[in-house]
Amino acid sequence: MALAMVLSCLAFVSRTLPLLLVLSAANILVLVWLRRGPRTLKRELRTFCWQTLIILSLYLLRFRSMDGLWAGFKVSWQLFLAMLPVMAVSKTVSQAAAVRTLSRILPGQMAFVLSTCIKFVPLLLAEIKNIYEGQVLRGARILPRDLVRPWHWPDLLHCVIVPSIVQGMALAGNIALAAKARGFGRSPRRTCWPGM
Amino acid sequence: MQCENQEALLRCEDISFTYPGAAAPLLKNISLTLRPGQCCCLTGPTGSGKTTLARILGGLAPDGACEGSLHYAPASDQSFPAGLVLQDPDVQLLASSVGAEVAFALENLALDPAAMPGRVIAALDAVGLAKPTAFPVDKLSMGQKYRLLTAALLVMESRLLILDEPGAQLDPDGLAHMQDILRQLKHAGIAILLCEHRPEPLLEVIDDFWQLSADGRLTAGRWTGDPLQVHTRPPNPAQSKPAVLRVAGLCFQDTQAQPVWTNVDLTLRPGERAAITGPNGTGKTTLLRCIAGFLSPRAGTVSIMDGPPEPARLRGQVGLLFQNPEKQLFENTVYDEVAFPLKRLGLPAQEREERVNAALEECGIVHMADASPHLLSYGQKHLVALASVLAPKPRLLLLDDPLAGLDDVRSRSVLSTLSRWSDNYDMALLVTGHEPQANFSWAHRVLRLEGGRLA
Repeated sequence: MALAMVLSCLAFVSRTLPLLLVLSAANILVLVWLRRGPRTLKRELRTFCWQTLIILSLYLLRFRSMDGLWAGFKVSWQLFLAMLPVMAVSKTVSQAAAVRTLSRILPGQMAFVLSTCIKFVPLLLAEIKNIYEGQVLRGARILPRDLVRPWHWPDLLHCVIVPSIVQGMALAGNIALAAKARGFGRSPRRTCWPGM
Repeated sequence: MQCENQEALLRCEDISFTYPGAAAPLLKNISLTLRPGQCCCLTGPTGSGKTTLARILGGLAPDGACEGSLHYAPASDQSFPAGLVLQDPDVQLLASSVGAEVAFALENLALDPAAMPGRVIAALDAVGLAKPTAFPVDKLSMGQKYRLLTAALLVMESRLLILDEPGAQLDPDGLAHMQDILRQLKHAGIAILLCEHRPEPLLEVIDDFWQLSADGRLTAGRWTGDPLQVHTRPPNPAQSKPAVLRVAGLCFQDTQAQPVWTNVDLTLRPGERAAITGPNGTGKTTLLRCIAGFLSPRAGTVSIMDGPPEPARLRGQVGLLFQNPEKQLFENTVYDEVAFPLKRLGLPAQEREERVNAALEECGIVHMADASPHLLSYGQKHLVALASVLAPKPRLLLLDDPLAGLDDVRSRSVLSTLSRWSDNYDMALLVTGHEPQANFSWAHRVLRLEGGRLA
């Protein structure tokens, strides 16, 4: 867990091509060490491709030229390297163990919030997938072959990204309510379940 | 077990509640009392404020103006007076193991970790969930998840449980288990408030009914609404027509290579309506996604209108609506939302207008055409989403549990709309649900997906 956090933090300070390449190699070594096979890497790379596509389209919209694309790609790469070790470790370490580890360096409530964010990522991704599939059949031009044409990108923004953000906020609200219903925030201090 | 002489666990007097920006209060002068061992069921139409009232009584009032008084029986510092389970257990389960989930409230009370296992195991015993504390939460069935949430409240020593629509999530087995647990909890002196559209499976444990009217007032009795005539189906006319959907020998495996279902065969002809029921977790949604071409089966074939199920080919021909269809809404007005698929299909403006108006009229939401879909009630959003998938006049419509969270009147209205549209435009309809006792008079065929087989 500590190693994953170090690798994640390094992703934010690695801004040059050599550093990003070294960090990518380190991440692959960690995946091998954790016995997360090529299947995991393939799945995460697919996410990286989607994320890069979205970020590049936002950069294009913002700068209206191809000059910003390399900067956009680097941001996407950094974000990917920040998330990859955490996603890999979250599948091998129990959430309770993660909270216990994080509690040593963060306030108890912050540790819970961080671990809960990671836990709900798959649920949010499943929601986004549902939205995407529903919108495809409603006629939105958002299939990979459609997105080759930049004039279809606004459909991705309006039909998928905006509803996904709304859904993400709703999910966050529901999680916060569920936590509050069981006393989260009632005491300034939290203890940790001793088991898995 | 209910005892009139015992001190009330909850007493609320003259509660009124208004959401920010609303013209009128949602709840008006609500007064009620709950005593130990009493189980009450709160009924009312979709959007009448049952969940809002549940949240207020659970001490988690939403943002807004709340007037009146709320009194709980005295409780210790190490306990909570009321516990609330909201809809959708999946977003309320915050930990990855059974033990950590139940212990969450104890962590928040900063209880000594050494004292946690005893209380956690006692709470799990109380709901009959015989699982090791390290058991992964995501491996539990929906019924077990609901029991786990109940245990997570009992560990807080709450003597009042508020359950918001357990019937919308649980299949008959889950509800039968729930009824047994509620009976035991009543014997233990715990008061229970159920908010439920369809309380039939839990009738044995319910002592009293209350109803919230559409104008926000609470009275004794059970709300059933004005019965609407469900469109009665004509004799199946479609046998001679070529099939819209043909599924043969379909098999699907999950990511762990375990079969979800095998050898599924299904044929739907124009105008034909089929319902698929089955317990939670049997793969009904997966089947719809396979049919729509978003998932690849391990074996077997799907043919829609004599072609493969490729999403690009099916646009405008096949409609798909998942649970909570409100999440697909993104336009600024209801009219634009319904018109969106027609624009993408490239229909001329005149035809678009005619089709949008027809869909709005059929769903009874013409008067909302200029309203923002995001500001409508849950039931109204449901109808907007439905109108938007009906407007392109798809030849096949796939609906995943479309009635979850809707009251009986609204459900009948939705089914009636779907049946009329199916008859008028020869639209084949495939609807999934988890309630085998539901009224299927609208369907030509009712199929059951259980144990990996569709029969």
